[in-house]
Amino acid sequence: MLVGRGLAKSYGGVTVLRDVDLTVQAGEIRALLGENGAGKSTLIKILTGAIVPDRGQLELGGDRLPFGDPLLLRGAGISVVYQEFTLVPDLTVAENVFLGREPGRVLVDRSSMQRTTERVFADLGITIDVRAPVRGLSVAHQQLVEIARAMVFEAKMMIFDEPTASLPAPDTQRFLAVVRRLRDRGLGILYTSHRLEEVFSIADSLTVLRDGELVASRSMKGVVRSDVIRWMVGREVSEEFPIRQPHAGEVVFEARQFSRLPRVRDVSVTVRRGEIVALAGLMGAGRTATALGFIGALHPVHKRGGQLLLNGAPAKFESPTTALAEGVAYVTEDRKSRGIFPLMTAEANITIAHLRRFARRRWLSRRLERSAADQVARDCRVRASSLAQPVATLSGGNQQKTLLARFLLQPPRLLIVDEPTRGVDVGARAEIYAVLDRLSREGMAILLISSDLTEVLGLADRIVVMRRGQTVLEMSRDEATAERVMSAAT
Amino acid sequence: MIRRLIERHAIFVVLLAECVALTLTTDAFLTSTNLSNVVRQNAFTAVLAAGMTFVILSGAIDLSVGSIVGLAGVLCADLMSRGVAGSLAVSVGVLSGAAIGAVNGFVVTKLRVPSFVVTLAMMLIARGAAFKYTDARTITGLPESFGVLSSGLAASLIMATVFAVSWVTLMRTAFGRHVYAVGGNAEAASLSGVRVDRVQRRVFVICGACAGIAGVLVASRLNAGYPRAGEFYELDAIAAVVVGGTSLFGGRGSIWGALGGAFFVGVLNNGLNLFRVSPYDQLMVKGAVLLLAAALDRSRR
Repeated sequence: MLVGRGLAKSYGGVTVLRDVDLTVQAGEIRALLGENGAGKSTLIKILTGAIVPDRGQLELGGDRLPFGDPLLLRGAGISVVYQEFTLVPDLTVAENVFLGREPGRVLVDRSSMQRTTERVFADLGITIDVRAPVRGLSVAHQQLVEIARAMVFEAKMMIFDEPTASLPAPDTQRFLAVVRRLRDRGLGILYTSHRLEEVFSIADSLTVLRDGELVASRSMKGVVRSDVIRWMVGREVSEEFPIRQPHAGEVVFEARQFSRLPRVRDVSVTVRRGEIVALAGLMGAGRTATALGFIGALHPVHKRGGQLLLNGAPAKFESPTTALAEGVAYVTEDRKSRGIFPLMTAEANITIAHLRRFARRRWLSRRLERSAADQVARDCRVRASSLAQPVATLSGGNQQKTLLARFLLQPPRLLIVDEPTRGVDVGARAEIYAVLDRLSREGMAILLISSDLTEVLGLADRIVVMRRGQTVLEMSRDEATAERVMSAAT
Repeated sequence: MIRRLIERHAIFVVLLAECVALTLTTDAFLTSTNLSNVVRQNAFTAVLAAGMTFVILSGAIDLSVGSIVGLAGVLCADLMSRGVAGSLAVSVGVLSGAAIGAVNGFVVTKLRVPSFVVTLAMMLIARGAAFKYTDARTITGLPESFGVLSSGLAASLIMATVFAVSWVTLMRTAFGRHVYAVGGNAEAASLSGVRVDRVQRRVFVICGACAGIAGVLVASRLNAGYPRAGEFYELDAIAAVVVGGTSLFGGRGSIWGALGGAFFVGVLNNGLNLFRVSPYDQLMVKGAVLLLAAALDRSRR
């Protein structure tokens, strides 16, 4: 049993964790919930020894644990499976599992290493080639390797930090089964996720933080979704999507048998003024490649075919630069590595795509730049104490809004948003939906790429489903059901 | 506010401390002759470092600048020795540097070869060209007036101009912001409509032109076209940029850091000379100081 008492941490006068208690029993899955910035990651970092709290104490199985000693805490049995993987791609599965603790005196005892690894995976109900390099594994399997590693370390407590954020739906189910199996073997599990359905399907108890304070700690019995959201946000949030009134105008964008072989084949889709069209499908169905193809960001080796029309006229975008100049903007799904400029301020992140607007002759006017950034940040409901702070210090939701603001600084004719709410907390998600809704009311054509069916069904006026690089089905919002979309997608 | 200023320009605090220490321990340091010498001896390193800052901020590296110094100097000196007008000869020197930079940029962006390799190759090619052009001889017989360029005053003015223009370009133009963006996250820059290739080609042209200017300055100081001139200067320039706090991974740093870095190393050299430290020991001291500076910078983050 892991017990934390009165854990507190503040940075330069800002309290990020205020006397929080936490108990995780052996054989229990406890969900740790809260919006971004609520103190979840601070709490997890205390448990892993990455930071030392100002006050409080920590016990595992009745023994007092020291703070700030990652190796010792791991040795005591607390393991973390991180969102970003810490595997070495060119080593084999078994080598990764034993990294840093290779058996054998001088030479590594490979066969015992492989046997143990195989046994651990068998316990988890997984078949995997332990001699294969990690590089070729799917994200889901890489995550299992991380878990196996913790098992070899004889973990008593396992902490999962947003483990399913980048898993496709079928893998998520398999992954959750593994987590349940870990619990049934008597491990205590602390689990964070933004996906509430997942929490309800897996957790036995929950702890909710808000603004660094403990707001709820109880069993899941009798708890309903709206309770959780109210605890997290501190007020009633209508999770409901904005009520859309179809008011589609003339066709703004049309793709006819658009192909970028081998990844995209015969994609046909139209988006009208004031309309939100969803491009649904599973991960790897070619939706992102399609969007990149539209704006000319795919490598030229892809064989081209088909046609794009913008406002009825043939359009051909050689690069994102020309696409943007013609009014087609694409907001990436991969905020971290293809979206933000982590070293730059929020303001510079917002203005980067349209800097020439602030040039008088050749010189940038900082005054114009600042006022335009302020305006669009307000429109996109970016919450930051100052836009002069580095964007990397903002929460995930605010980074996402910053990214959206970048492409709305000069409103495009077609806005393509790719997974706009991935890794974004509930409150910010509702705000992003509201922003998209407002834009479409103002006449923007929006193409929404999303793997989140609730989002697709809640926001889109029309739904186009892709499978294996092709568009396979189109339906209106009234005809659409989750089953129809899923059966077309798989 | 003041703390941030000091943190951001820590190199100037260190440079100041270095100067104060030398003033207190030697009589020779704080004299107009010596200070003018320090400027004359380091103006070209500073100019090289300014150009290098653009390249490094964009996430690349340019190893060919030392060889460009040699080639540009030789071309400029040769034209002058044949009686071509000084201004024309100087322009040819500077433009030849820019042209080599353009080739570097072209190969890096079109053939997708890493800049380290491209400019390493160019370092050999340009040096070879300088030798071949002169038959490995030194070109002499230049007009006395050419030496004026490298006088303390003229060198300071040229250096100041290069830095002022660089600062304005980096901080007050869209191109400058794009340089930081490309170095900070090239993929994000591309998806934001920044013409990444064009930015990369331009930074190499700027760096090459700065190397051309430095080449002319060096030729003026020697009053000769010497094909070996500028050997290892690329390393001095990179050291100055890095000591000045600019990240070798791109996206973070400032032009002032390059100026401070160049003079930090320059004043260090000067001090070691004033204390009559042997050249061998000087190398080791410089290496150790470089390591120390880099480690300090690292721990500050």
